[in-house]
Amino acid sequence: MAINLDRRLFLSLAGAGAGAAALSACGGPSTAVGGTVTQAATINFDGVKPAASIDFWSNHPGKSQDVEKSMIEKFQAKYPEIKINLITAGANYEEIAQKFQTAQAAKSGLPALLVLSDVWWFRYYLNESIIPLDSLITKLDFKLDDFRTSLVDDYKYDTKQWALPYGRSTPLFYYNKDHFAAAGLPDRAPATWQEFAQWAPKLKASSGAQYAFMHPALAGYAGWTLQNNLWGEGGGWSKGWDITCDSAESVAALQAAQDSVYKDAWAGVSSKESADDFAAGLASATLSSTGSLIGILTSASFNVGVGFLPGGSKATSGVCPTGGAGLGIPSGVSKEEQLAAAMFLQFVTEPENTAAFSAATGYMPTRKSADMTAVLAKTPQIKTAMDQLAVTKVQDNARAFLPGADQEMAKAAAKILTQQGDVKATMAELKTTLEGLYTKDVKPKLKA
Amino acid sequence: MTPQLTAKPGRAPAHTATVRAKEPGGATARNRKRWSVRKRRDFFVFLALALPNLALIAVFTYLPLINNIYYSTLNWTLGSASATVVGLDNYVTFFTSPDAGKVLGTTAIFTIATVGGSMVLGLLVALALNSKVHGTTFARAAVFAPYVLSGVGVGLVWLFIFDPGYGVLSWLLRGLGQQSPQWINDPQLSLLMVIIVYVWKNLGYCAVVFLAGLQSLPKDVMEAAALDGAGNTRRFLSISLPLLSPTTFFLLITSMISSLQAFDLIRIMTPLGNGTSTLIYESYLQAFGAYNRAGYSAAISVVLFVILLIITVLQLRFVERKVHYS
Repeated sequence: MAINLDRRLFLSLAGAGAGAAALSACGGPSTAVGGTVTQAATINFDGVKPAASIDFWSNHPGKSQDVEKSMIEKFQAKYPEIKINLITAGANYEEIAQKFQTAQAAKSGLPALLVLSDVWWFRYYLNESIIPLDSLITKLDFKLDDFRTSLVDDYKYDTKQWALPYGRSTPLFYYNKDHFAAAGLPDRAPATWQEFAQWAPKLKASSGAQYAFMHPALAGYAGWTLQNNLWGEGGGWSKGWDITCDSAESVAALQAAQDSVYKDAWAGVSSKESADDFAAGLASATLSSTGSLIGILTSASFNVGVGFLPGGSKATSGVCPTGGAGLGIPSGVSKEEQLAAAMFLQFVTEPENTAAFSAATGYMPTRKSADMTAVLAKTPQIKTAMDQLAVTKVQDNARAFLPGADQEMAKAAAKILTQQGDVKATMAELKTTLEGLYTKDVKPKLKA
Repeated sequence: MTPQLTAKPGRAPAHTATVRAKEPGGATARNRKRWSVRKRRDFFVFLALALPNLALIAVFTYLPLINNIYYSTLNWTLGSASATVVGLDNYVTFFTSPDAGKVLGTTAIFTIATVGGSMVLGLLVALALNSKVHGTTFARAAVFAPYVLSGVGVGLVWLFIFDPGYGVLSWLLRGLGQQSPQWINDPQLSLLMVIIVYVWKNLGYCAVVFLAGLQSLPKDVMEAAALDGAGNTRRFLSISLPLLSPTTFFLLITSMISSLQAFDLIRIMTPLGNGTSTLIYESYLQAFGAYNRAGYSAAISVVLFVILLIITVLQLRFVERKVHYS
């Protein structure tokens, strides 16, 4: 039988083909009724052999690529049967998260171990993208009691351990010792922001710098560092899951920050990275991560001082948030890969390795028994960061756990600090947004 | 004679049918058989040539489009293995949120400013380059060069220029006793900054296309107008500009589509999208930024698609009528 392939038939066939292809490609997520997180209670690794090769995704926090390579070489010398492929999966925490979630959606190309920041791991938990580490911690006998408790507890949820600390940091108060001396100020960080407000005019008059203080870049992690201002005045982004950013205390704290830029005009707002601005001499002081310490000490041409974060009128201690990144193991890879990843995770968190990592970057050593003598002899400023750990506070849920909250906080901060927006109205608007994020994206997935 | 593939196979054009009616029945049947064989062979050649391209377009353009429409009906967190069907809820959420007005407004301002700026400045540059002076070859290359540069590289360099702390612009302003504006932190200035850089990068494209249009204008008409006493301005407004309308129309469509899809400069210069979040960038931020709302992001992409479709249809339907093609 002859087939008359006319245009109409061709188009019909093409349409049918495209339709079939479309239907076949409508894979994506399964559209089962959504619900709470249903991770397995424990994962059994009995009889599992570690994989011969695994991928480790890192953004090399604190310019740690060299020290990471060095740790991998040492690991492979100890375990020659396991090859670790170090992959640069982004330039920052957001880029690595983007790549990981894209791989999750594509269900391919997942790493066995990845760097996850303080604001991302909880989302991976909600999406069931990472596994609880408890059974691996038991099987490999991690010395969990030797880890710094506050850093480990940051990754606990629903009685399980979802990650372990890696490049952990806190903000530090950095100051230009030469400027402080020229202004006749004591060689220390201010105890409170009120004290610094008294110092600032003297600094500005004598230093020649554009600003006495540089607020951290808003596009960076404004929500992180502003917790210091909020907590000092008795406020916060949230208490538990209650959003409190519009409380009188929170508004007062952010009003003071706005006044430092506009009314009193001694502070500026960094455009990209306040550590770079400070090191370049644009400001006499700033707040930045401990992970910036080595970079600042290397590039600054003046004497750098570091101190605890200033408190406020309501609190002078417990005003410093923890932050930085941990390491987690994805759920979408084989048990063999997960086991090999856990072995490498155990190795990099061993005391001598966390000390080496800390020496290279300025991040906190995550083990209590890490011998920091040599590191502190070379970089004594790290001791201030380590001492400050004792007075840190776990971050507000709104900042750490709500998807997109960091961006919304940064936008609100921009409105207050660069457009002189009304603080109370801006915080009321932010509260509505954050509550919406909680109600829509988090609450339905939480266990009652 | 090669049969026209656009004609309906098996049905001859009217004039051919008339001729065939006069032919003896046997000859017509033989012709039909011969035509059918040739037509079939040609059609397979056509398929062999066209199918790979059609398949590529289907897989990489229409399939994602259909998938995207499907995803826009889901409440799906990127990275999650499960999602909930929510129908049109994502569209309702977008159009009822306060962000919709901001995003659509930013998109409108960015598109109008960049398309208008690129075309007007491109035309002025083209007029300058069309004059017979020394150095025009170098000037043409210099004007066109930014268009072929990487958007990421351009964004990074301009970011340094605009940096209020230690940028070149800040240094110049301080020399004049002025403080640098907060180009990066102030949302309104951020949008202006990105528009300036986008226009700088793309005006070379408009200039080169306008220049080609100017050089193809009939010289006799211009000479006749000059002999009739028309000045430069009159000749430009009454002759050059109308005759350039096909070029202008082409640039209007391509520039508008390109502007609505602008991404790299916005991503590099204002990663937070504060004040610069156009529809396409908002779609990116919602899925891949920090929110991970893949379904909501897909809905924004569909809105952008519909807007692009409407603009293109309106342009073809109404603006093209004004175009002078002769």
